[in-house]
Amino acid sequence: MAFLETIDKDLIKVPLTAKDGKGVIEELVALFADKNGLSQKDRERIVFSVMERESLGSTAIENGIAIPHAKIEGLSKAAVMIGISRLPIDFGGDRPSSVFFLVLAPADNPAEHIQILSSIAKVCSSTLFVRMLSASRSKEDVYQLFFD
Amino acid sequence: MSKVPFRNILVYLDGSEGSMTAAMYAILLASSTKASLHAVYVVNTKALGDLVKSRIFVDQEKTEFLADLKKDAGRHIRHTERLAASKDVVITAEAIEGSPHKEIISYIKQHGIDLLVLGSVNAIRSRRDELTSENDRMLRTSPCPVVVVRDADDSIWSQFEEV
Repeated sequence: MAFLETIDKDLIKVPLTAKDGKGVIEELVALFADKNGLSQKDRERIVFSVMERESLGSTAIENGIAIPHAKIEGLSKAAVMIGISRLPIDFGGDRPSSVFFLVLAPADNPAEHIQILSSIAKVCSSTLFVRMLSASRSKEDVYQLFFD
Repeated sequence: MSKVPFRNILVYLDGSEGSMTAAMYAILLASSTKASLHAVYVVNTKALGDLVKSRIFVDQEKTEFLADLKKDAGRHIRHTERLAASKDVVITAEAIEGSPHKEIISYIKQHGIDLLVLGSVNAIRSRRDELTSENDRMLRTSPCPVVVVRDADDSIWSQFEEV
């Protein structure tokens, strides 16, 4: 599954309301959980997996972007949640992040996981694209940026 | 004497269901034309390195994913070998490390491949070059003819079982 195929308006949130890193993860996981009717236990399991990965080192990169991610056992296909925060949030990087891509990938498909992360990193290497993404006012704006 | 315009087929394996469908198609093609068949899985170490460089991956994660990818490569190669054996087709299958499209193009040149078989190519949904997939790149840059196998239905799987 390619990155573009994972983009879904229901999995985009603008603006995020969380005030800290864990809150952002919970808010983005909630989009996924609501869309897929997950139980509270499953939500917590996903948040735990993502935070566990973050504890190894922050996934905040340059340009105010963060790409938290985790391998999830039992997931049938990859999902990417996108969130834009009006106020930059400390996500453990050199500078605060305002654009978040949360990548959840099936544990048994490492190639797909890498392909999706790699595509996000490539598209976010464009300063202009990131500027436009950060300035998005709605999920429709974000969606349109990728499919322009 | 073969009248088909190819003698050496290469199928690219990437761990997806689409590439397994492509492998089945390539096996049927090799079986019916007596062309020799190669299968290559490229462990994308280029992407792994880039992810570490951009700080999306930590070193520990890179090591884990590299091991996972090698396991995945082994699994898909063994499965493809079994499929080929079931049709009495001899196959040369291997895993290579590097950048997928570059390694495949290099393999084509080194082994005199004259037909590349790929799983499905993405629909063009974005003009952003950064989002071009490895299959798209191979399709665009292959020095030999390319067959793209659609996996929209199960017809190839059924055909494979029937033959």
